[in-house]
Formats: sequence, structure tokens, C-alpha cells
Amino acid sequence: MKLVDAAAHPVGATGDEIRRYMKEPWRSAYFPGPERYHYASPFGEYDDATVPSAGGLPGSDPALLVEQLGVDAAARVVLLPLTRGLLPNTDLGSAVCAATNDWLAEQWLDTDDRFRGSIRVNPSDPDAAVAEIERWADDSRFVQVAVPLHSHHPYGQRGYFRIWEEAAKRRLPVAFHADGGAGVDFHPSAAGPLRYALEYNALLPFTAAYHLASLIAEGVLERLPDARFVFADGGLSALVPIVWRLDKDWRSTRVEVPWTTKLPSVYIREQVRFCLTRADLPRGRGDASWWSIAQADELLLYASNYPQYDWLSSDAVPDGGAPARVFAENARELYGQRLMS
Amino acid sequence: MTLHRVCARDELSPGDCRIVEVGGRSIGVYNVHGEFHALLNRCPHGGAPLCRGIVSGLSTSEGPGRPVHWTMDGEIVRCPWHGWEYEIATGETVTEPVIRVKTFPVVVDDGDLMVELA
Repeated sequence: MKLVDAAAHPVGATGDEIRRYMKEPWRSAYFPGPERYHYASPFGEYDDATVPSAGGLPGSDPALLVEQLGVDAAARVVLLPLTRGLLPNTDLGSAVCAATNDWLAEQWLDTDDRFRGSIRVNPSDPDAAVAEIERWADDSRFVQVAVPLHSHHPYGQRGYFRIWEEAAKRRLPVAFHADGGAGVDFHPSAAGPLRYALEYNALLPFTAAYHLASLIAEGVLERLPDARFVFADGGLSALVPIVWRLDKDWRSTRVEVPWTTKLPSVYIREQVRFCLTRADLPRGRGDASWWSIAQADELLLYASNYPQYDWLSSDAVPDGGAPARVFAENARELYGQRLMS
Repeated sequence: MTLHRVCARDELSPGDCRIVEVGGRSIGVYNVHGEFHALLNRCPHGGAPLCRGIVSGLSTSEGPGRPVHWTMDGEIVRCPWHGWEYEIATGETVTEPVIRVKTFPVVVDDGDLMVELA
């Protein structure tokens, strides 16, 4: 099976491994470890089976990842390493991103030609983010740009625009994923900080909803027809009624956003994709209308989310639960030549 | 085909709309910059009395941060319920996919405005 895993999360053997790729003063600066500080699953955030036998953090062994995911010769795995959240010192944040990219290239991409990478950039510093994209764009093993799901402003707002513009120019999709570490990003709820993993996990798609609406209303998708955005934490099904509402209200409120020319759902179909995580759809195709309503056949990308405790093997997806294109063609269309070259 | 009298031509000034009941239907007759148009007074979206909406214009822009222009002033009717914008001359929404409200020909006959029903 020519499978494409659109999001696996490689981890350093230790939380300090990326320091080897940093210069002073950042190398010896304090910054958080790779694990998310809040809302961890009460029985552990990672699958214990992903701990390498020789030791090291879960998900830190490339060979074990390949074995456990059952990656065959034709498959591709898009690696999306987490960073440490939006750090208050934005230069330190950019240094962590750059070091993560150097680490990913040397420790992972160089070890297996089925691996593809994500260019981590710091959205709080658009200058540095654009420079980081330029630094890696000619390395065809990097297939996308990645930023944290949680942010300081909705991602459609103008301060971020040139990051997306640079990514689109290079035909690199931009992935949003909840980050590791502990930054000064906003707490993951507009109602105030949540308390428990249950709330965090179930409500995460609503953070995606803010960005999605912002990218549409602010005209980012209209201005950058080559831009592609991936919600790598998934959540498509939770967003379906929000997309209906966006469609319904767009005709009424278009006067305020005259640069938009299409129904929001049309922009989404053309330019936005979601990983399979939190796609709370019927197990089988029996109620195909739900898949159709969610545009799920076109919008979903299989992603393992390895090494999270609930990582999803492609074998674990119920028979008939998703069409073949979700496991390969959708990702191939999205990532284009870089993916299979 | 039947012609129904709306009013004297001079009674409908540019920018105005007159709603009349003709042939069992409620129809809004408009004077748009001296051209006469008639729309069924029923929004195909939610059934609102469309012709009670304000006559307006169209905002356009080359992009966020660029100037917002005001065009087609007096040529757009905005539905009173949900704000859908229709071009009066064509009965078409300014947004895609296009939805159409039924239009009727208006003729001037000896100083009177007549709306033509099939």
C-alpha cells in the first residue's frame, strides 16, 4: 500500500538534543522541554511501546517508528516535530525552530528516504519565519511549513500574511498543530483556562475554527490561491456546522469583507485539509451522507499522530471507514512533487 | 401576457421602489437611475419581503488593507432579513453561487408604468 502518513511526531532522545544545533547564547538558555506542560493524558501522553529499547524519549527512534507504523518501501511519512510553544523571548523561539529543523534533517531525514519534513517557523517573528522557509525551501525533503495551533492572533490577520505568502510561493502547505513545551500562547479556550485533558482534547477543534474563519474572512485564501493549510490536529467533523454557518452568514456580511468572492466551504474544499485525528464520523460508509456533508473524502488526510497514546495505525482504521484516497492520493495532491521525489 | 398598471411614471423617482399587488403577486417596481425594473417581493433564500430592503450599493476591494470601493450605488437591494445582496436589474445575487429572484419587464405606456406578467 502506497500509504502517506501526514503527521507523525519525531522526538529527540532527550529534551536537550536540539541544543547541539544551537549557538550561544541560546544553546545554554533556559527553555521548556518537548512535552506539553498542561492537559497531558492522565495515564501518560505517549504510547509506552514507542520507547526505544536502548532508552530515550518515546518516539525518538526512527527505525522503531518505521517498524511500528508498518511503513513499506513506497510509503512516505511526513514528520512534524513539535517545538516548545510560543516563547516570550521571540528570538529564542526562532532559535528553537531553526535548531529543530537542523536536528530533523540530520537525525531523521538523513536516515530514511521515506521521511519528509516540516519546516518549523516562529509565527511571532515573521522576518525570521520567512528567512527560515528560505533556508530550507530548496531541500525537497521538506514538504510543508509548521506553526503552533495556539497563537497570539487569529492566523488570517495581516501580520502573518507574508509567512503564508512565502510558503505559497514555494508551494509548501502550512500545518497547524498543538505544540509541545509551554509558551505564552493563549490558553486553549476563549472562556478561560480549561482544567482537564478531557476538555482540552474534545474542544481543540474550536481553536482551529478561529483560524479557519480568520483565514477566510481576512482574505488570505482569496489572495493566495496557491496557499494550502492543514489542520494537523484534525477535528473536521466538529467544524461542519461552523462551516455551514460561515456559508450562511457570508452572503449577509460580505459587504464587510469585499475581498472574498467564494462561499467559505468552497475555499475550504480548494485550500484546506484536515488530518484524520478527531474525525468523528460513522465507522463504516453506511451513512455515507455524513461523509458527504463533511466533504470528508476530499478533506481528510490519514495521519498516525505517532507516538501519542492514541496513535492511529492505518490497519486500525475500520474497513470501509475511509476511502483509499484518504490514505494516499489526498496527501499526494497536497504535497505535490516533493512528497514522492 | 397581461399588463398591470403600477403608477404614473412621474410618481416613481430615481432611487425609489413601489410595492404593488398585481395578479395575486407582490412585486417591487424600482426606478434605478431612470431605468425601471420589477422584482418578485419574495427573497428566494428565506421568503422575506425582499423589496422592503434598502436600496444600496456594492463594496469591492482588491484585497485586505487595500481601499474599499463603493460601486453600483442605487443598483443593489439588500434583503431586510439576512442582508443578501441582489442586483435590481438582473435579480441575481452578487455572491456565488448565484441565486435569482424572479424579475418582470416594466414598460412605459402613455405616461404610466406597467408591469408585464406572463
